[in-house]
Amino acid sequence: MFGFNVMKIINGFIEIFSTSDYITTVLDGLKLTLIITVCALVIGLALGLILAIIKIMALNMPKMKIPAKVCDVYIAIIRGTPVALQLFIMAFAVFAIRGFPLELTAIITFGLNSSAYVAENIRAGILSIDKGQMEAGRSLGLSYGTTMSKIVVPQAIKNIIPTIGNEIIALLKETSIVSMIGLIDLTFAAKIIGSGQNMASYIVPMLFVAIFYLAMVYLITLLINYIERRFRKSDRQ
Amino acid sequence: MKKLLTILLCVALSVVSVFAITGCKKDAIVCHTNAFFAPFEYYQGTEIVGVDVEIMNKVADKMGKDLIIEDKDFSTLIDSTSDGTLCDCAAAGITITDARKEKVNFSIPYYTSVQYVVFAKDTITVSKNANNEDVVLWESLAGKKIGVQLDTTGDIYVGLEIEGEEDYEGALQGKNAEKKPYDTAQLAFDSLKAGTGAIDVVVVDKLPAQYLIKNDTANYVALPLYYDANTATEEQYAIAVNKNQTDLLNAINEVLTELLNQQDAQGQNGIEQLVMKHFAI
Repeated sequence: MFGFNVMKIINGFIEIFSTSDYITTVLDGLKLTLIITVCALVIGLALGLILAIIKIMALNMPKMKIPAKVCDVYIAIIRGTPVALQLFIMAFAVFAIRGFPLELTAIITFGLNSSAYVAENIRAGILSIDKGQMEAGRSLGLSYGTTMSKIVVPQAIKNIIPTIGNEIIALLKETSIVSMIGLIDLTFAAKIIGSGQNMASYIVPMLFVAIFYLAMVYLITLLINYIERRFRKSDRQ
Repeated sequence: MKKLLTILLCVALSVVSVFAITGCKKDAIVCHTNAFFAPFEYYQGTEIVGVDVEIMNKVADKMGKDLIIEDKDFSTLIDSTSDGTLCDCAAAGITITDARKEKVNFSIPYYTSVQYVVFAKDTITVSKNANNEDVVLWESLAGKKIGVQLDTTGDIYVGLEIEGEEDYEGALQGKNAEKKPYDTAQLAFDSLKAGTGAIDVVVVDKLPAQYLIKNDTANYVALPLYYDANTATEEQYAIAVNKNQTDLLNAINEVLTELLNQQDAQGQNGIEQLVMKHFAI
């Protein structure tokens, strides 16, 4: 089938499972992939939220115009360059300091990268709410902050959750490039197992870790769907 | 908003403190390598082991310092060593070339290797050398797509033979041969095995070549690459050291001299014994 032998692949999977060196390498890689994803996500969400708030506030407050311009430039730079290049620059220029933990370099890089996308997702979600909602709130005498937090954001969050889910999935898979700075993540674990002195073929271990990625993404999808359903409960009332 | 600021400050603080704790390990030798070059360096589980690692351990013992081995892309090793901020030296079966000598100091050579060609049986013309052994001549690679590992000597030699230089006419110049770089030799070999015709042969150093074909010797062969019946494509490995680190260079040279002078019963020197210890097919 398509130039590879199914029996050979099944035997390869059994070999990976039964060799303790291989399976511990895969699990170590899995651990690092998860650590980088979760930590980067926390940074990305926190920073992305701040960026989005500044950009939204600039729509109504003239004194926020300059910070919003700074955010625009930041987002343009981060979204305008490939994450692989950002990782390279971080590891070999910005954090090129003896003894600086590479895991941290990766977490910061992916956190900053993710924040730009999260900011745009949140901003898009808030802007998707009809202008009339804000006007109605303000004309009832509510302050800008109260209207935002009590009327606009609760509606916007339903639109934001699925796009954030998208970002989490993209982030998880993007971490597969950290091997270029010498970290052993799930993809690199497959490369180690597939290298000459071990199994001497990349195909089987690569398929093996592909299943791990697929399972993780599926779990994230389930979680996002659950959260989304909870938020949409009010729709049916 | 205040809560958010607090969270952000916490994150910033933890980042700074982790950096402060780890940033003070100064008195260790940091050695970069590319751990896909068995038996010189390879992964055993998630630990890097191999001939170069053992040599560097002896050096660290001699100097009474800790040793940190870090795995990087092969193409970054010489520049990082030359710069000196990230590492003091690079041990990765690095061949001495003039271009590299301008950037880093090399230790004494400790191993002589030959370039090998890996290909599917009967796809390349096999010749005989002066000792009547099977070899492949450079001219047999005319019209072939040649896979190499990026920035290794395989890459450099194949590039040289295809493009030539001012005062040197390459054996493959104008012969329609094409060079295709991959991240690792294993990736190039997998591409060869996939049979899509992306590449016809892989050019790589002797020992890694033998590792590549170990599971499939029925269909694939690895043979040395010769210029003519008498001249093999030879090269010498050495450890690259930052130009300001003369103490480290001297210690490495001392260790290598000791190993090279150490003969066992079979007349093998210390380096060859280490190679045999790590070279298990």
